[in-house]
Amino acid sequence: MTSSTVVRPAQRTPFARYRHSLWLLTKRDLSVRYTTNALGYVWSILDPLLMSLIYFFVFVVVMNRGGTAGEQPYIVYLMAGLLAWTWFNNTITDATRVFSKEAKLVRSVKLPQSLWVARIVLSKGIEYVASLAVLAIFALIFHAPVTWSVLWFPVGLVLQAILLYGLGMIVAPLTVFYKDLERAIRLLLRVLFYASAVLYSPAKWPEAVHGFPIRPLLELNPLTGILGLYRAAFWPQELNLFHVLISAIGALVLLGIGTLVFRRSVPAVLKEM
Amino acid sequence: MVAVDSTPAVATGGDGDVIEVSDLGIRFKRNKRAKRSFKDLFAGRRRRSRPDEFWALRNVTFGIRAGEAIGVVGRNGQGKSTLLKLIAGVLFPDEGTVRVRQGVAPLIEITGGFVDDLSVRDNVYLTAGLHGMTKKQIDAKFDEIVSFAEIPGFLDTPYKHLSSGMKVRIAFSVITQLDEPILIVDEVLAVGDKAFREKCYGRIEELLAAGRTLFFVSHSERDLRRFCTRGLYLKKGELVMDGPIDDVIDRYNTDYNMGSVPPVVDA
Repeated sequence: MTSSTVVRPAQRTPFARYRHSLWLLTKRDLSVRYTTNALGYVWSILDPLLMSLIYFFVFVVVMNRGGTAGEQPYIVYLMAGLLAWTWFNNTITDATRVFSKEAKLVRSVKLPQSLWVARIVLSKGIEYVASLAVLAIFALIFHAPVTWSVLWFPVGLVLQAILLYGLGMIVAPLTVFYKDLERAIRLLLRVLFYASAVLYSPAKWPEAVHGFPIRPLLELNPLTGILGLYRAAFWPQELNLFHVLISAIGALVLLGIGTLVFRRSVPAVLKEM
Repeated sequence: MVAVDSTPAVATGGDGDVIEVSDLGIRFKRNKRAKRSFKDLFAGRRRRSRPDEFWALRNVTFGIRAGEAIGVVGRNGQGKSTLLKLIAGVLFPDEGTVRVRQGVAPLIEITGGFVDDLSVRDNVYLTAGLHGMTKKQIDAKFDEIVSFAEIPGFLDTPYKHLSSGMKVRIAFSVITQLDEPILIVDEVLAVGDKAFREKCYGRIEELLAAGRTLFFVSHSERDLRRFCTRGLYLKKGELVMDGPIDDVIDRYNTDYNMGSVPPVVDA
């Protein structure tokens, strides 16, 4: 049309636009967080930090089970789990209300809708990676040496990102239609927290309880393998390739289901906006 | 009731069309609180037809050529805004297709992308960026955007501290600088003071003169006649007339000012 060499927005490739928008929204999330609170960074780690201290108090100081619940030093073990859990928990919680929170933007800007989920996964993921500095400090203080298995860490990040993206794409549109789901998911997250090996090692799972095969059931949780990948940085024996395989399959299956649910429901979601 | 003599819409299909709408249909729930079942959600699009739904638009077909200025006429709740949203790509049709071959600058809920806690400067970069401009393009246009909005001293002020007029001004300024060939305007001009409104009109005329395609929804007869050459008349979700804007407005006036009671708006 025009002879100018400037590329109009619509003429850029969809992929470039997606990446660009994703980055803008992620940056927005982070800068809103860090410009509105003086303690921005502190807030993002305060929750897992406090919870670590609470669980440490309960399990080690009061019940004196620190030696058996997980690997040593237990406080580092706890934090390694809780920081990753915080990423998971915050992403899913945010995904349940993303469409109502961003309704104005969704209504006024033509963007691929999956962006709304991807951007939560990414911004919370960046906060998680930033919070790892605290884990490193605790590891230094309590003498938890890093092993070569730390190389598994990025695999854990990728698997968790895929898992969260898939779950987010299921949760985000469904909560638009069923408001109750928001509460239900909060409850489910709490159950999942204790069912995932966040506070303890998956090795502690009994094979069966009163004849009910509890262990195989718990092993289906894709978070288990991911936590193992992270914890392998300090305790290589925590890496369980069988669990990792379940995590990978679980993440991909959920990604598939999520994509399907999302694609099917987005036209109806937009009508509700 | 007014007799609906649906003149079949003239489809001007062809290669010259930048917007091509064919057999467009979209339906909404009459009652937002209506119960939903999971089955409902996953049933195929076509199989779903429920009594508590109504068609906000149906069997709408038209084509728009580059550079045309279209005004959409109709009473409240007859599908005008829905049509705009479908063309802007923030809604998807249940039937038919909407093809938009060029980029769109949507003046629909223009302040939608702005974040209260961020500064005006950050907001300009964010919103323009979400609409697809690169950082370099925004850099180049930044001064122009700010000077058009007439808020030079407020660049580092958090957006929430602006007056509502300022908010609309900066938002309008950003969207109209997008440089997209198609401009969609949904009555945003009703806000802002008179001087700025006149300025916005000037800007739209400038864009029209530069060959932009305009898609305009308004209740103001004056504005419609001022900008538009062609009119689309929507009634109960159907396109009942497609012709020169003056004829369309005349028909609209005949429909609603000639004795008979206007139909109750049902959406």
